[in-house]
Amino acid sequence: MTLNELKRYNGRNGMSAYVAYKGTVYDVTQSPFWKEGNHQGQHNAGADLTIMMAGAPHGDEVFAKMPVVATLEEEPLLQQSDASAATPLKERLQIWYKKYHPHPMTVHFPIALHMFSAGLDLFFLASPKVPYAVGVFYTFFVATVMGFVAMIAGVLSWWINYNLSTRRPFVVKLIVATLTLLLGVVGIALYLENPGIVYEASLEGITYHAIILFTGMSVIVLGYYGGKITWGDLSQYDTKTVVSETEEPLSAAAGKLPAAGTYEVPFSSAATMAPVKEVRYEVKEGGIGRPNTISILIGGAAGAGIDTLENLLCDAFKRSGYYLFSTKEYMSRVRGGSNTVLIRISDTPLEAPCWEVDLFIAMDALALEHAKERCTSKTIIVADQTFAQMETNSRAIPMKETAQKLGNVHYANTYVAGVAFGLLGIEPQPLIQSVAEHFKEDTANAAAVNEGCQAGGKLERSTLPALPKADRERSEKLHLMDGTTASGFGFLSGGCNFVASYPMSPSTGVLNFMASMSKQFTIAVEQSEDEIASLHMVLGAWYAGARALTTTSGGGFALMGEALSLSGMTETPAVIYLAQRPGPATGLPTRSEQGDLNLALHSGHGPFPRLILAPGSLRECIDLGYLAFELADRYQLPVIILSDQYLADSIAMIGDVDFSAYEQRRYIVRTDKEYRRYADTQEGISPRGVPGFGEGLVCADGHEHDERGQITEDYRKRIQMASKRARKETGLIAQAVAPYTYGEGSIAVIGWGSTRGAIAEALQQLDDPRLVQIHFAWVHPLNPEHLLFLKKYTHVIVVENNADGAFADRLQHYGIVVESRVLQYNGFSFFADQLSAMISERIKELS
Amino acid sequence: MNHPFDRQDVDVAWCPGCGNFGILQLIKEVLDELQADRRSTVIVSGIGQAAKTPYYIDVNMFGVLHGRALPVATALKAANPELMVIAEGGDGDMYGEGGNHFLHAIRRNVDIVHIVHNNMVYGLTKGQASPTSQKGFTTKVQVDGVGSEPFNPLAVALALKAGFVSRVNIGNAVHAKEVLKAAFLHPGYSLVDIFQPCVTFNKTNTYQWFKENTYVLDGSYDPTDIGAAMNKALETASMPLGILYRNISSTFEQRIRRGATEPLYSIKHDTAQIQGLFEGY
Repeated sequence: MTLNELKRYNGRNGMSAYVAYKGTVYDVTQSPFWKEGNHQGQHNAGADLTIMMAGAPHGDEVFAKMPVVATLEEEPLLQQSDASAATPLKERLQIWYKKYHPHPMTVHFPIALHMFSAGLDLFFLASPKVPYAVGVFYTFFVATVMGFVAMIAGVLSWWINYNLSTRRPFVVKLIVATLTLLLGVVGIALYLENPGIVYEASLEGITYHAIILFTGMSVIVLGYYGGKITWGDLSQYDTKTVVSETEEPLSAAAGKLPAAGTYEVPFSSAATMAPVKEVRYEVKEGGIGRPNTISILIGGAAGAGIDTLENLLCDAFKRSGYYLFSTKEYMSRVRGGSNTVLIRISDTPLEAPCWEVDLFIAMDALALEHAKERCTSKTIIVADQTFAQMETNSRAIPMKETAQKLGNVHYANTYVAGVAFGLLGIEPQPLIQSVAEHFKEDTANAAAVNEGCQAGGKLERSTLPALPKADRERSEKLHLMDGTTASGFGFLSGGCNFVASYPMSPSTGVLNFMASMSKQFTIAVEQSEDEIASLHMVLGAWYAGARALTTTSGGGFALMGEALSLSGMTETPAVIYLAQRPGPATGLPTRSEQGDLNLALHSGHGPFPRLILAPGSLRECIDLGYLAFELADRYQLPVIILSDQYLADSIAMIGDVDFSAYEQRRYIVRTDKEYRRYADTQEGISPRGVPGFGEGLVCADGHEHDERGQITEDYRKRIQMASKRARKETGLIAQAVAPYTYGEGSIAVIGWGSTRGAIAEALQQLDDPRLVQIHFAWVHPLNPEHLLFLKKYTHVIVVENNADGAFADRLQHYGIVVESRVLQYNGFSFFADQLSAMISERIKELS
Repeated sequence: MNHPFDRQDVDVAWCPGCGNFGILQLIKEVLDELQADRRSTVIVSGIGQAAKTPYYIDVNMFGVLHGRALPVATALKAANPELMVIAEGGDGDMYGEGGNHFLHAIRRNVDIVHIVHNNMVYGLTKGQASPTSQKGFTTKVQVDGVGSEPFNPLAVALALKAGFVSRVNIGNAVHAKEVLKAAFLHPGYSLVDIFQPCVTFNKTNTYQWFKENTYVLDGSYDPTDIGAAMNKALETASMPLGILYRNISSTFEQRIRRGATEPLYSIKHDTAQIQGLFEGY
């Protein structure tokens, strides 16, 4: 039985009800689940239900109970449509036809001539003159002859290009063309028989003129349908072969398809574009004056537990009432090598590392060697008795012995923490609390702390600076976190609800943070197959209305260039967290540099506006993380946050932040039927719709496009759209956050991004009234008005953690004269003490 | 001859006789018959002649870069699982430039219909070999003929346990439509590889060639047996058409959204909750 035969057994009008499944035809007439050839109001008998079974709530075991009546012969389904019935001759003809296109070449002659002939005949009928009559006939004669040529070419085309399609335009053309040719022959015959009939009102005469006039019109019909075939929406496929043979019971299936938007956007839309709340920088507490600090460096192998030691000490110092700052420096390996952790405690806030330290604790002999340069004659060096050196500032302690005595080498860490507290003379109770909370059941750690405190208390400590003043009440109000976490809070407060990233140091921390947040907030987090996919996923998510983020470092960002450009062209927002590390290529994977400013500025082909922000403190990490989402959404452009390994991994303290001030908005409109994604507006911002929200369609396109998002090559539209995109930057510049300035002098020390804390401390140490700190967190596009005041400084020094001085170049591009550049590209971020020496060197000749 | 899914006022850029016309017609008819809501249907396409298809269908569209339709479509579906998402492009777009995304879109099992126009040649760049070009196919670049093994999308998809693996020939439009419809109804990633001749640049793989070198899987074929499917996918003398394999499992958007379906544009984080977390530091 074939499908066509099966169709008759639809269970209606007394027919049996048959259905086919996987090639077998079953009789369901007697089944209680089939009534009048219908099953559950969804499926009709007389059809092959194989495909439908995928959506059935039951399996194919139901067929086992049904009587088998036949096998379904595959023939109708297998039948190849005529579309593919080409012959080699046909193919050769196709090539020939493509080259010479005989039908379009010949068809215009009969069309034009028939129309001319009919037109001239109207003149003749109005004024019967001999030249008119002769002209009409000869034109008509040539038209008919050419008509035959055109018809042959047309039939050929019908065969080779359209597979003898029987669609309406072809049928109409065939009938009308044949009729026209026949009438042409008749007309010519009538005239040749007796040319005099043209002047007569006889049957022959009237017929002759009727033919002339009719063919003048019939060729218009031929031309119309010809145009429709060539330019219209027709495919060469015969709809008859495409239309399904069975009436599909698709209502249920259709129900499975999604319906359009039932959700509201609970945010302000483009119509209420209030200005973005200006981000205010925190006022620096403490003011000028040298802070009283103690810097502790701990060195050890990766995996030996110095991270744990860092966490313990930071927590315990905070509980003890100190301001603190901590940063690590590590090698690109999971085990071994030599890593260091620097912890600084202070009585004023600080966010910078120093090179020379007051106390150095070496967990192994390699560390002792690794960090020797950072010790002065005053530095107290604590080491295990087995490898401690015999110098006056060395202090040997039984690190390993005690740990072994307590039962595990890892107790050395808690023991050392105790030594540090004992040596510094800090009351150990906060440390004991931290250890108890951290290790919970492992009480041997408490014993290790106690032994450490006692051992430390006995050590000679006269070269250490005075202990900073502690204030527990003050430090309880402060929050301790690294730049990674602060950035994460910024993105969270910006409403980030989609993250797609490929892991890459030093950006991975933010990916981890957002993934951990996805347990409590609605955030879709996906690890993509590569960075190309990351940013494209971000664009797909923003297109659908999400607030999406990707995290990467320079190497990964290099792969995102094309997607960045797509963001620019399609005006799809994007937020990219780019944590820099020294390049080129793999460079120094675990170290720090500000080397990717030019990459961020110039990545992506073709000009388009973008925003680059570079936080320099924990507070800026939060503020700018929020601002990135707000401005990406509002200006529909990519926003790049430039962080780096140093900022991401450094732990510092931050005061209270009021998160209710970060108003989450959506600049999304409900579309109407006439919606145009790229509607031209004065400020260049087209109201952004998302698919499924409203009545309109959202067409975004990476080609140059017109206002509705349709591909175009019209040069006027190109200019219109390129100008529209460029205009967005004007509005963005007006929103720019002005640089932070501190000091009243005549020498500007300019930095951007993560150098903020180091420059601040270096200037504090120099305590020179001529020096002014100027910090840029809004890096691009700069507002020229914000730069005017720079001209008043007699000397401009730009401090950058890179080799190319990219930001200094940027300032010079805006006409700022940069007298001096302090560049460091050794893999370390600036150490405040070293930086103060470098600046001092630059200004000592200045009056 | 207007179809409800026709986009108005567009200039179709394909050569007369191009197989793409048939695919365009096919998709419009399937959308119509499945009563798809144009407002919640999105086609994402890359670059190439095939990737021009969404410019001629009146639904939402995101025209992206060469090879990149899949990651965009993947995220789009996750950001709003209530949308019906189609990723469309040619063999060079999806199997060449976007090859890595192809592998991982399958692994994710994102609920999209992945339509690949497979004409075994690069059309937009005027006639170079594509990843699926047959050995020996000569072009202006592959002057001695293609030497590399052709990419076998079905076998690759099966190796990754794709949820729905199918191939059709646009020369057999009735069959193609049945399969495409099933792909739309499949809950999960659905690959529809469509054989389609390029009448301008591929004089080897013509309508006739595809007719002679393919056959339709009959009713006795069991599309749930992955071993049998792999054997079918590896057949080259005459290539099978139809649904080679079907298997339902959890989708990407269900997992990444933990079962939630509300679009992300309606999601706002609670600042009090953020504040609470921050205070914990």
